Amino acid sequence: MSSHSLTLPSTSPAAARKRRLLEILGALAIAGTYIYLVLNQPADITGGPGSASALIALSGFLAGAILLIVAVLPALPTSTLVLIPVALVLNIVLGQFVGSTLVPFYLDAIGTVLVAVLAGPGAGAATGALSSIVWSFFNPTVLPFAAGAALIGCLAGLAARYGLFRRFYLAPVAGFVTGIIGGVVSAPVAAFVFGGTSGVATGAIVSAFRSMGDSLLAAITKQALISDPMDKAIVFTAVAVLIYALPRRASLQFPFVRRHRVLAGKAPEQGA
Amino acid sequence: MRLHPLTSLAAAGSTAVITTAAAYLPLSLAVIAAAAGLAAWAGTFRRLLPAAAAILVPLCLSLLVLHGLFFPEGITVLGEWGPARVTSEGLSFAVQRAAQLSAAVLALLVFSFSVSVPDLVAALSAKGVHGRFAFVLASTLTLLPAITSRLERIRQAQEARGLVIRRGILARAAAFRLQAVPLVSVLVEDAATRAAALDARGFGSTGPRTSYREVPDRPWEQMLRIVLLLAAAAAVAARLLQAGT
Repeated sequence: MSSHSLTLPSTSPAAARKRRLLEILGALAIAGTYIYLVLNQPADITGGPGSASALIALSGFLAGAILLIVAVLPALPTSTLVLIPVALVLNIVLGQFVGSTLVPFYLDAIGTVLVAVLAGPGAGAATGALSSIVWSFFNPTVLPFAAGAALIGCLAGLAARYGLFRRFYLAPVAGFVTGIIGGVVSAPVAAFVFGGTSGVATGAIVSAFRSMGDSLLAAITKQALISDPMDKAIVFTAVAVLIYALPRRASLQFPFVRRHRVLAGKAPEQGA
Repeated sequence: MRLHPLTSLAAAGSTAVITTAAAYLPLSLAVIAAAAGLAAWAGTFRRLLPAAAAILVPLCLSLLVLHGLFFPEGITVLGEWGPARVTSEGLSFAVQRAAQLSAAVLALLVFSFSVSVPDLVAALSAKGVHGRFAFVLASTLTLLPAITSRLERIRQAQEARGLVIRRGILARAAAFRLQAVPLVSVLVEDAATRAAALDARGFGSTGPRTSYREVPDRPWEQMLRIVLLLAAAAAVAARLLQAGT
């Protein structure tokens, strides 16, 4: 619908190259920070709070997330862009709502995964990172997790791109795998910036591993491997339910859904 | 006199960075006291307290349980119950980390509870931040109460049709579906309408823009921002050098 402007010049190849470069730099910043933290953790963790690792985790992950936003945001069509605030509110509202009525999971990525499935990996990554940054207005502790949220949005978009949302039983599997990767990447943030987890229930699981003599990072990674895959499997299933409940006219307005045949059912004619 | 929104953002951000880098308990406690005092002075203390408590109480409890009871690296044992060992190293680690996180969280919350969002958005676009980021920020903050009340209306409508949330995971999942599906459908529809309206008003166009809202930016505030950012960078550099040697 409103994906291309008919009156304004389209973006030049130079601008597209610059954006691609920023995307790669952002991904490299996140990956490099993670590798550095994992390689250097044992000497540093008990060296007192506020250690250099906390600062490196904060700055590296945050810089990566901001680079991704700068690269992706200007290239999004308006129909996708107006969906991002909606997704952020859904993350916050449905997260709280589920927390109060359903099982004790956090489920704070429903909006991010929804945008990723409708608009692709890039939009999903930008939504995840923006979600953390805007949410930190009310809760500054989510800010360091921006890179993890961006990764989850990107992986959800890739899952949709390769047709994992076409079969209903594949969505939770994709969520499970995404949760494993996202949990492993977010664990150093929890370990080095917070020195633990932000919830009492997850803290109890970490305590159990600590009492067996694990290092803090190992204990938190194992805790993340217990709760995150389940959490993301539920989120992906919920998003699949929501997407298939949308009228086809609403879901097919997104070029990503049409081009890659994200949803099951007959492909619509091109140029519709 | 109001501060420029970016000045208060720089002040809050550099305070958070410096307390994290310093990792010095008296400084963290001083920042907590200063943040509380500032909030009381600005008259936002009553709104800020529940928001801060909702974040910090579970965080601090979790830290105390985690490090107070289980800290394999601890040497000085104060008490033992089965697998749990209370060590003084663990307790001091937990208290230091809790104070430091509380200081950073409170500094940032004082900023977000005192800033005027329209001013922040205008200041960001005036500084060359892409208008789209400002749109996402402002739109989210204004949509939040609207969508919350919409969810409440959907719940009332479904309850009028006989929805009762029973115990058990399946019943709750069904109740979740009955409320989330109408909410998401209506939101996606609305977004499509809004996209067309925004495009018709030149939202996607590039080029110079003017703003109705002017936020005064005094020269001494620009200087102050530079000094604050340099101080934060210096604190980080000092900590990294110390760790390197």
